[in-house]
Amino acid sequence: MHFPTVWLLSLIAFSVALIGVLAAWPGLTATRRGKILAFLVLFLLPLLCMAMGVSSEFERSKTTSFCLSCHIMASHGRSLYVDDSTYLAAAHFQNHRVPADQACYTCHTNYAMFGGFRAKLNGLHHVYVQYFGKPHDPIVLYEPYNNRECLHCHLGARSFEEGAVHTADPDLLPAVKANKVSCLSSGCHDVVHNVGQLNNVKFWKGD
Amino acid sequence: MTAAINELEKRLRLAGMLLIIGLLVEAVCLLWARPLAFILLVVAGGLLCISGIAVYLYSLVSVDQAASER
Repeated sequence: MHFPTVWLLSLIAFSVALIGVLAAWPGLTATRRGKILAFLVLFLLPLLCMAMGVSSEFERSKTTSFCLSCHIMASHGRSLYVDDSTYLAAAHFQNHRVPADQACYTCHTNYAMFGGFRAKLNGLHHVYVQYFGKPHDPIVLYEPYNNRECLHCHLGARSFEEGAVHTADPDLLPAVKANKVSCLSSGCHDVVHNVGQLNNVKFWKGD
Repeated sequence: MTAAINELEKRLRLAGMLLIIGLLVEAVCLLWARPLAFILLVVAGGLLCISGIAVYLYSLVSVDQAASER
């Protein structure tokens, strides 16, 4: 358990104890000090606990282990360890081009306005489909992958802007930047997770 | 006045119980690192805590009003 969670659990335990005292002896609130204590214990502390709890859960929901805790994601998790640099997700994960502990979120969040919020809504939809619907097998994206998510990191990078293949055709980079030519499905970087082929590949035994 | 104080104490107890249950739900969700825990924390924990705070705030307003009417 990491430190912020321990700290937050301690704060919750402290709040519950104080609330318990006030609930057991509500007469304490008759005095001025009691009223201040009640405001602190029945208003400020619960609000603080809730805000910190939601914030902590939001952060945790970005972690790779959180995404892979659903059984349906297991093969996508395995694909991160494929020992083949043409596998885009594996190459990004293993070389820390994305933070390894937030690999899924980094590539699959939406970098537009309110993108983080939309990613959380999508997460709620995942849970709904998992428990009350029928998930695709294999799972598919809700909408085609947008180049914006790649360009969030690669735009302006020398390897991207001056790469031999990228500059061979002068129309290519503007089209990629305008999301008219997909990075993934135009035949350039089209090996991403490819979970259907995991039985035929070697795996990296890294951390 | 005594009836109003009893009513206030009753509401404070109710607010306290709602908040305790809400915070315990939150604690369980923090320990149980699964996607369902996230939803449980936001929906159940959040609703209980907000209800508890609302009951507490309402108790302040309603008892003041009852006292002034007397």
